[in-house]
Amino acid sequence: MEQTCEIIDMDQLDHGRFGSWSFSQDFCVTCGLCSSSCPASGIDGFDPRKFVRMVSLGLEDKVVEARWPWICTMCAKCEHVCPMEIDIPAMVRSVRGLREREKVPGVLHKGLAAALETGNNLSLPKEDFVFILEDVAEEIAEEPGFEGFTVPIDKEGANILTTIHNKLVNTHTEDLKHWWKIFHAAKEDWTVPSDNWEGTNWGLFTGDDEAMKIMAGRVAEQMEKLKVKNLLWPE
Amino acid sequence: MADKNVLVLGGGIAGLSAARKLADFDIGVQLIEKSAFLGGHGIQFSCKATDKCVKCGACVVEETLENVVRHPKINVLLNTQTQKITRSDGQFSVTLQKNPAYIDPEKCTGCGLCFEKCPAHGAISRGFSKSNLPFYAISEKNCLFMKDKSCSLCQDTCPEEAITLDQKRTDHVCETDAIIVATGFEAFNPESKPYGYNVFDNVITSLELERTLRQESIVSRPSDNKPPEKIAFIQCVGSRDAKLGHLWCSKICCGSSLRMAKLIRSRQPETEMAFFYMDVQTFGKDFQVFYETVQDDIRMIRAIPGDIFRTETDRLRMAFLDNSTHEILEEIFDLVVLSVGITPGKDTKELADQLHLAVSDSGFLSPSENGIFTAGTALGPMSIAETISNAGNAVWETLKYLRI
Repeated sequence: MEQTCEIIDMDQLDHGRFGSWSFSQDFCVTCGLCSSSCPASGIDGFDPRKFVRMVSLGLEDKVVEARWPWICTMCAKCEHVCPMEIDIPAMVRSVRGLREREKVPGVLHKGLAAALETGNNLSLPKEDFVFILEDVAEEIAEEPGFEGFTVPIDKEGANILTTIHNKLVNTHTEDLKHWWKIFHAAKEDWTVPSDNWEGTNWGLFTGDDEAMKIMAGRVAEQMEKLKVKNLLWPE
Repeated sequence: MADKNVLVLGGGIAGLSAARKLADFDIGVQLIEKSAFLGGHGIQFSCKATDKCVKCGACVVEETLENVVRHPKINVLLNTQTQKITRSDGQFSVTLQKNPAYIDPEKCTGCGLCFEKCPAHGAISRGFSKSNLPFYAISEKNCLFMKDKSCSLCQDTCPEEAITLDQKRTDHVCETDAIIVATGFEAFNPESKPYGYNVFDNVITSLELERTLRQESIVSRPSDNKPPEKIAFIQCVGSRDAKLGHLWCSKICCGSSLRMAKLIRSRQPETEMAFFYMDVQTFGKDFQVFYETVQDDIRMIRAIPGDIFRTETDRLRMAFLDNSTHEILEEIFDLVVLSVGITPGKDTKELADQLHLAVSDSGFLSPSENGIFTAGTALGPMSIAETISNAGNAVWETLKYLRI
């Protein structure tokens, strides 16, 4: 096995910032269970164990520049298997948050910018959104047992408000039907808002707390406006 | 020298060593063991010598056990536990609860007919050493006679009339001048780990491998009794684990598993072996030399694998990140051995309450003095050699306390 060693510039280490994190990355015993269990391990050489070590060593510049934190899907299996209870997904998110926003990978960056500006990642106009929902509802109404089915948009005082993942009004409209049929069968009193319906919150994935707060705040506003007490947020 | 008596709790290598040393000082020893067999975990271990001794310590347990059962100053009570302990004027009065042995060690010849004939799974078990007297034991949990008196086949079959099933539990009171607590450890149960233990037949613990090597000499797959072509050892299962509250290194597993791997290699040379580890704990001055030779025969992989899956051909597949290629490697094995850690005994807390002993944060006993002394793995992970030396120290403290 041939290996090359890179000399670490000690001035580049920044224990200060990482030291203030509460992820106990310094407890890592380098057992490698995270890397053995991670579904994204090995993609572009992604190695969660090495990532934790980089953070632990304080290699701030390297770890923020690296592509690795963006390969992670934040599924949290690593955290589940970690014997030292290190919250690796939270660490990944924090590292992502340290990147300049313009350098956040394109899809996420553009999607989030669109969501902040228009209310959803696709910049889908309200009329189109409503049209798609009603179209899907009509299809359901044609199925036996669902005669007369309609989608209750902006229904004031409903029991549940549900958000919509943007892909469900884009490429996966069939998937809307499962939820809706369950609501129908359960005689649930539910609604979908016509504004700020976006169910994904890419502030979460980009480590952008401020954006995350704005997106979550908008959902809460819709609930207040429509006087709905319960939220179903199926990301 | 006035007649002194010491009660030793636990018949593993710590208790056996302490009992033997005390008896050699002409002190009367009452040695009590909660299970049906003396020898604890150590007596289940295999000698791991290949072309030469690798200093695993297994033979010392055998030898000590043999000396203890023969020693006139040692009285052994099997199937026995302490109920109550009171202390006055430096004397301890200990109430012991003894479950019957059902098999009379004086009459039993160890012929094994009872074991062969018994229809209830797990109702009759075998000892591990010829010094386990009687060599067979009846389990109250599984025996049909204990359940509903529906079977007495063993009693009827025994040619020596050594078996009497209709026996009651008895209480004994033992007066003693000092107590040595040597109640040992519990091997970690790996069912909660993602390795399919007790789901897949061919995932076994290191303790089970020790027993197999001791009894059968060679290793085979539990599922089909065929010799495994590829064996994986996974280290630190239940040790160094904050989630379990087990932050300690169990100290013995690297040595034990590597010695077993080396032994398998010498007896079944075609076997391929991989050793998955975090770091190898080379305790003892001789270990480094042994470790260097081991690496020629056994593939050392510095990663703990994740989930294990069973393949269609009943083999075991697992994945790990290869440090040299930075890619996920999937490998198939025939047998996976989990090196299970040393954990505190299940009744440590109860015993500590009875004896007014302190329990450390880890759950093991804290060292104790002044009449009640502690020895062996009840205090934390120790090798056989360390345990013997620790028991020697407890005996020394006991002798000072007794002013002998």
